[in-house]
Amino acid sequence: MIQKYYQRVWAIAGAVNVRTKILGIVLGFIILLGVGVTVQSRYALTATMTAQLEEQSVSVSRDLAARATDPILLNDLLSLHDLLAETLANNPNVRYAFIVDPRGQVIAQTFEGGFPLDLLTMNSVNADEHHHTALIQTDEGLVWDTAVPILDGRVGTARIGLSDASMQSALSTLTAQLLLTITLVSATGVLVAVFLTWILTRPILALVAATKSVAKGNFSPRVSRWADDEIGDLAEAFNAMTEELAHTDELRREREGLRRQLMEKVITTQEDERRRIARELHDSTSQNLTSLIVGLRVMETNCAKCAAQSKATDLREVASKTLDEVHDLSMRLRPRVLDDLGLAAALERLVSEWQARHKIPVDVEIQLLERLPGEVETAIYRIIQETLTNIARHADASSASILVERHGDLVRAIVEDDGIGFEANTNQGERHLGLLGMRERAELLNGTLVIESSPEHGTSIYIEIPLPVRDSMAVKKEY
Amino acid sequence: MKKLIIQLSVILLVSCSPVPQTEIAGHVDLNDLQPLPSPEGYEAVPLRVAVAAVISPKGTVESYAPFLSYLEEKLNRPVELIQKRTYLEVNDLIEHGEVDLAFVCTSAYIQGHDTFGMELLVAPQVNNKTTYNSYLIVPSASKAQSMSDLRGKVFAFTDPISLSGRVYPTYLVQELGFTPEEFFGRTFYTYSHDEAIRAVASGVADGAAVDSLVYEYALARDPSLAEKVKVIHRSPDFGIPPVVVSPFTRPQVKADLQTLLLAMADDSASTKALASIGVERFVMIDDSAYDSVRTLVGVIPTSVGQP
Repeated sequence: MIQKYYQRVWAIAGAVNVRTKILGIVLGFIILLGVGVTVQSRYALTATMTAQLEEQSVSVSRDLAARATDPILLNDLLSLHDLLAETLANNPNVRYAFIVDPRGQVIAQTFEGGFPLDLLTMNSVNADEHHHTALIQTDEGLVWDTAVPILDGRVGTARIGLSDASMQSALSTLTAQLLLTITLVSATGVLVAVFLTWILTRPILALVAATKSVAKGNFSPRVSRWADDEIGDLAEAFNAMTEELAHTDELRREREGLRRQLMEKVITTQEDERRRIARELHDSTSQNLTSLIVGLRVMETNCAKCAAQSKATDLREVASKTLDEVHDLSMRLRPRVLDDLGLAAALERLVSEWQARHKIPVDVEIQLLERLPGEVETAIYRIIQETLTNIARHADASSASILVERHGDLVRAIVEDDGIGFEANTNQGERHLGLLGMRERAELLNGTLVIESSPEHGTSIYIEIPLPVRDSMAVKKEY
Repeated sequence: MKKLIIQLSVILLVSCSPVPQTEIAGHVDLNDLQPLPSPEGYEAVPLRVAVAAVISPKGTVESYAPFLSYLEEKLNRPVELIQKRTYLEVNDLIEHGEVDLAFVCTSAYIQGHDTFGMELLVAPQVNNKTTYNSYLIVPSASKAQSMSDLRGKVFAFTDPISLSGRVYPTYLVQELGFTPEEFFGRTFYTYSHDEAIRAVASGVADGAAVDSLVYEYALARDPSLAEKVKVIHRSPDFGIPPVVVSPFTRPQVKADLQTLLLAMADDSASTKALASIGVERFVMIDDSAYDSVRTLVGVIPTSVGQP
């Protein structure tokens, strides 16, 4: 039960902002205090005024009884009437006054044009009593009716009715004034609370803005210390933290830059070295091998039926095979076709060789109308090359597809296979290193590489590389 | 939320409204006015007894209540006490037969007898006498020795036609060669002798002349008065204030009343009734007992209210 109410209260209190909370506290406190004071005041005033009213009722009627004695004895009804009228006029609380003779006859009264006969029986007093007060409910509210014997009851009884109208009016006035005060204090309280909230939330809002800025990587904003309080301390701590973060970030960027440079250097060097070796193999080793083969063939022809002929034939076959292998090696190190004919041709050749070797059909679709910058071509080529190697080694795929297309200033490549897939999040082993290298290549060109794979659902690799602005295309940097 | 708070406060305020601790006696519609029933008449015709305002109305009720009860019992008919502020008003009632029996002042009797035939019934006897005096009283601290020392002072008269309270002190002032208006700084009427004593005792008046019977009676009832007032002059004897009947009182009633009053002292049941009005017994008296007073009244005009 309590838990339920607590949850309900928290649902309301938790959903509103600090400003509303503070306003709620201030208003709630003022209203609670105000209502408490009003209730207490009304209670105290009612008690006091009721006592006063009763006291007044007794004193007025005693006074009337004393002053009425002579007029009654002298049968001076006019004076008696005047006396009652005077009593009524001088005591605003007195609703009525009348005199009853010992036989129960009303001999003077303040009602005009009649008398409420029921009133006669509502109160009475014995001759030996000081007074007797009865509370009467009338159509005009409560009335304290006091009866006092005149001259020990020998000449009659004086009756006075005090209405509580003035008390009710005083209570209403008090309540109205208190409610007005509460309203005014509440209004002031709201203003104060708004000001207070502004003071409190201003630094917090500044902190929130600064935090968001820092989250986006902008470490420049600093919050000022508005006040010498906890929030001020927080602001200072935040500033210190931001400074530290900025410093760390700078270091990180520096290292990142260095690493990138290093990586670039490594890749460039690797490509250069491959190209050089490939060229060497093609230009020098291949030429030499070709010359060797030609020499062996001459020797074969010239020395028919000699013992060395079969030997020469064997050697020529070995040389021929070696030449093929050198070609293959050169091709794999750095296909010349990539430099000479571009990515499309190089990929088609790569795929056709790969298909021939691994007997896995590959669907290739390349939509490039013109050559791409050399570094982009190289990167895409190497990534696809690595991917194909992975498919051959790990995927156990029955088919694969490659799509390369250009979208404005973006080149996108997608390689998919229907193999066994793997846990894309895994970051272990040689395979992981290979994937890391692929991503590294894409990122060096400000591109992205996304791998989607899960066991039994094949693998897809998405590569996106933005093309450099056209001006820089003139500068063809080749790896 | 706000609605809840408002509702809560309203409930609290209403619940704290005045809760009377006394039980409510009943309900009355103060604006449902009806004509008052006309007073029921007495079963028998009451004997109407007037008492002149020698003492205050309240004092009269207290003193005469046992006496009136006694009459009621003896006559077997209700007795109604009628009081008036002045002697003259009582005389008017007697003249027109609106009262049957009356205790009047000496000068009022003389005036009533001489103008419309007010009839003597009996006279009270006090201290074995049927006479009384007028006492000139002053506060006990006063240095006044006689009327001449009260010149320029405040003087309290009782009733305009009171012998002891106005006629006699006026006579004393005239002896000194003044009218009261010239002689006293200020005068006022108290309309009863006990009030005049009270006026002197409380220092409101510097002097007053009062009925010796009332003075003695008051002193007996409240001995502390002796410390507050003193008598500095005593008048010659005057005929005591009598009990009279109206010329309209039926002779049979008059005779019955006379018999009853004269026999009172012999009735043990009347002790309290007589004691409370300070009378030993009622005796027959002749009109000539008041002749000395007639002389004095003839000298002093009782101008106020004189017919």
